[in-house]
Amino acid sequence: MTLFAAAALLAASPAVRAGTPINERAAADPAGSVEVSNVAGTVRVIGWDRNEVEVTGELGVGAEKLEFAVADKVTRIKVILPRKTSNVEDTDLVVRVPAASRLSVNTVSADIEVQGLLGAQRLQSVSAEISTAAAGEDVECKSVSGDVTVNGSFKKGLLTITTVSGDATALRVAGEVNANTVSGDITLGLGETNRSRVRSTSGDLTMAALLAADGKLDAESISGDVRLELVGAVDAEFDLSSFNGEIRNCFGPKAVSTSEYAPGKELRFREGQGSAHVRIKTLNGDISVCRK
Amino acid sequence: MNGAGHGERPDGRIDAALASLPRELPPARDLWPDIESRLEPRRRRGAWAWQAAAAIALVAVSSLVTASLVRRADAPVARTSTQASQAAVMPTTFGPSYSLNAEYDMARRQLATDLEQRLAGMPPSARQKLEANLAEMHRAAAEINVALARQPGHPLLEELLLNTYQDELGVLASVNQLTGTAPAATARQENVKL
Repeated sequence: MTLFAAAALLAASPAVRAGTPINERAAADPAGSVEVSNVAGTVRVIGWDRNEVEVTGELGVGAEKLEFAVADKVTRIKVILPRKTSNVEDTDLVVRVPAASRLSVNTVSADIEVQGLLGAQRLQSVSAEISTAAAGEDVECKSVSGDVTVNGSFKKGLLTITTVSGDATALRVAGEVNANTVSGDITLGLGETNRSRVRSTSGDLTMAALLAADGKLDAESISGDVRLELVGAVDAEFDLSSFNGEIRNCFGPKAVSTSEYAPGKELRFREGQGSAHVRIKTLNGDISVCRK
Repeated sequence: MNGAGHGERPDGRIDAALASLPRELPPARDLWPDIESRLEPRRRRGAWAWQAAAAIALVAVSSLVTASLVRRADAPVARTSTQASQAAVMPTTFGPSYSLNAEYDMARRQLATDLEQRLAGMPPSARQKLEANLAEMHRAAAEINVALARQPGHPLLEELLLNTYQDELGVLASVNQLTGTAPAATARQENVKL
């Protein structure tokens, strides 16, 4: 009887068992779209020089299957979990795609790592770490609590980073950068920047930037500190103000109080012809602007 | 007017009486001690921060009271009060005299309501961090409103407050979008080993 019960249980269990290897491959448009979806584990995407999409890795225990479909220049890769799960393990995916592909990755807690991709990217997660390289096309990274890291090559493009509590780091990026966080810290290394907008509620903002002529850099924090170091010849107008924080700079002018009877300091000055514009506002955070 | 001829000053005696009044009239007794006892103590450096903290606490408590009133009006009620639901009911004041417009408030409430339904599907640690961060934004808005109450119309404060509300809306929208497009197993997180 015991053996019969055990056999019945095995027959009713999900078909997939531990460590199911994944090995899928299909032809793909060299500039097509690839969409990847995973819950937990890792997603690693690598750009290559073949007109194919290849998925390898290991399906986690309890996962129902890997959906792999190609239609209308779109390749979809999705880890499917059964409706009633019991302790689903991580699924680790390695996805190789044509380097010029447009990529979209959605995960809950699966870490996302992208390398060698030249096309636009949209990487989203609830709690995972996101790491990618920017190559001149639009890159958007969004996470609630995971950290975001973007490494560029100073090619101009549009970079958008949004986190709630994760830290954001973007180095050697250029063009237009929008970075928003609530409590994470933002660290930016900006090449020639036409327009950048950086905001936090309580996170600190640390930036090193080369401003383009007519470039605009707008940074704001409620209670985080803002530190900006400018690289190269500085030709900009500065508008710095803080309600409760200090304003420091190495260009010479001193901040003045905005009112004799209330808190608030501001500092407006020009370096060179004032072609670029730097605007920094805080409520409580300190502001520091200097030449690197 | 009595006895005044045409063109003469009405009554020269009034002018004379005014001229004879003393320029100063000292009080019968020293009034200063009574006046001094009614004045507020001189503000010490840092008292601003304490008062702001007290006002923030007051706003937070009033938000919780408001949330409980809303919950009692609705049936069925949520088991726990999350920061998303508090976002929906916390008044979006803009300084001492204004509130944000109805369209903004409606959008905010809808996003907060949608998020409330998705919070249960988030990984617990991410949910806790999100709630803590929404609370951080509410504290920031409260702090700026306190400052605006003291400095109505202060342009920096108004700009920071408006941006804080916009950022909150952005966070609610982003998280709704993230949890809405995340793989379907988010609703079954309790069984997923994360």
